[in-house]
Amino acid sequence: MVSSNEPFEPPASVEKRSRRKRHYINWLSLSLMSFMALMLLIIYESRWVYPEIQAYFSQTGSLTGQQLATRSRAYLQRAQQTLLNEQPTSAENIEAVSLDLDLAYGLMDVSVYHQEYACTAPSILIVGSLAPRLSQGDLSAFAASGELLGPINCLTHIEMDQLDRRGVAINNFSESTRRHNQVLTYTSMIIFIMGLLFWLMHERQLRRTELATEQKLAWMKRAMRDPLTGIGNRSALHQEVLARANESLGLILVDVDFFKQYNDALGHPEGDQLLRRLANLLQKQLGPEAKLYRLGGDEFAAVLPCPNDPVLTQYCESLLSGLATEQFKHPAHPDNKCVTLSVGAVRFVAVEITFAYAYEVADKALYRVKTAGRDGWQISASA
Amino acid sequence: MNAASLLVAYAHRFKKQVKTGFAYLLILIVSFPLASAHARELTLINGDDTRHIATASLIPQADTTFTLFDPYQGREVEMRGFEFRDFLIEQFGDIPPALHFTAWDDYDVTLSGWDDPNWFMIVEEDGEPLTLRSRGPLRLVERDYGARDINSLREFNDWVWMIRSIEARW
Repeated sequence: MVSSNEPFEPPASVEKRSRRKRHYINWLSLSLMSFMALMLLIIYESRWVYPEIQAYFSQTGSLTGQQLATRSRAYLQRAQQTLLNEQPTSAENIEAVSLDLDLAYGLMDVSVYHQEYACTAPSILIVGSLAPRLSQGDLSAFAASGELLGPINCLTHIEMDQLDRRGVAINNFSESTRRHNQVLTYTSMIIFIMGLLFWLMHERQLRRTELATEQKLAWMKRAMRDPLTGIGNRSALHQEVLARANESLGLILVDVDFFKQYNDALGHPEGDQLLRRLANLLQKQLGPEAKLYRLGGDEFAAVLPCPNDPVLTQYCESLLSGLATEQFKHPAHPDNKCVTLSVGAVRFVAVEITFAYAYEVADKALYRVKTAGRDGWQISASA
Repeated sequence: MNAASLLVAYAHRFKKQVKTGFAYLLILIVSFPLASAHARELTLINGDDTRHIATASLIPQADTTFTLFDPYQGREVEMRGFEFRDFLIEQFGDIPPALHFTAWDDYDVTLSGWDDPNWFMIVEEDGEPLTLRSRGPLRLVERDYGARDINSLREFNDWVWMIRSIEARW
């Protein structure tokens, strides 16, 4: 149910505003989403690890850090050296050779070598048979050393092939890295530019909204102001009283005596000039805390803090004495006087009574001054 | 020509190679126990205390048998051994925070996290005692290695082969 106090707003305007709001949210969301996408892309790319390269290069110091083939070949070559020294068939040397051959055997006899390299099985056969033949004297040390050449060649072949594979993996890794870098660079740039673009759209939308708000506020300010004197109008007076609820305020109504005659005698431009001068005078006499309003024609109102009636009396007296000092000429005044004012005032607390009632009471005081011959002031009992 | 006649023909043609192959095979079978002549003891070091244990004496301690896919052999293997955690408590009184291993192939490594019932010291494989040739005489394996990729040997780097000595690092 719509409150009768709410101002009527055409549906088209509401729709336009909600659409604008929706756009505003969308630009901002799109911009933030773009930057988030950029972050995610960077995180994803930075954690990207090429698995093959890890297999080849993350093994330092571990069980498979050095190729098993390399370690196996080292033992075979050490066995070969022992066999070719001066005392190859001594029990100690045979034992050392046997140990090296067993170690070489164990390191070579792994599934991956059997699957990938045909020379593995015959090589293992030779390595496994050599020690007993040597110890039984079936084979000379020199011949045994010669027989080890086959397995050593096999292991060298395995090593070289593994190195080749490592090279291929490096190349693939390098190529993949280059590709990923390109993707990362271009995608980042595109997403960044998109994010920037969305952000600029959002900024533009924001500025438009701010401008519209500023214009609206300026328009509202103008609507509350009297263009002739620059002081507030009747609407502004109501706003002011509403904004100062619970304060003890004084309301002073001022009417220029015989203003029509002034205009008739000196013309409307002079009349306007008089109104401006009076506005300045009112502000000067009532002080900076007083808010002035032109209610129409030659009628002014002032609202100001007022704790009690004597203060209000002082204000009224100050007003008329100030005017008397200024001596504004009024050639058409029936009593041959300068410009005079009729003033009616009342003190009130905005919450306790309605402003309309206070205005009515002050106006009655003003009326009493008028009927008493003008050029004076009266205050009503506090409303 | 059927397969049998082909086999005979090839055997005749490569008579010398076949003979040599059979000879090697025979020697291998006969000499297999000789191949285990090395690596007969395990050295245990605990500070200044160094002890040597015959690897043969550990075989009767093996009380657990299980079948496991050995990624290095590329097949299912029946392994027999004992829980390594119990062995550490028995030998060192408690489970050391870290152990330094030395292998017969001069590989050495320091590893921690042994308070884990998943680790087993293996002494036999498919009913045969481990030798250097079968990456023994003592080998540490994980009984359950979960979902690790069996084609990626780097996943099994903690398995220690050919164990020669174990030093407690407190």
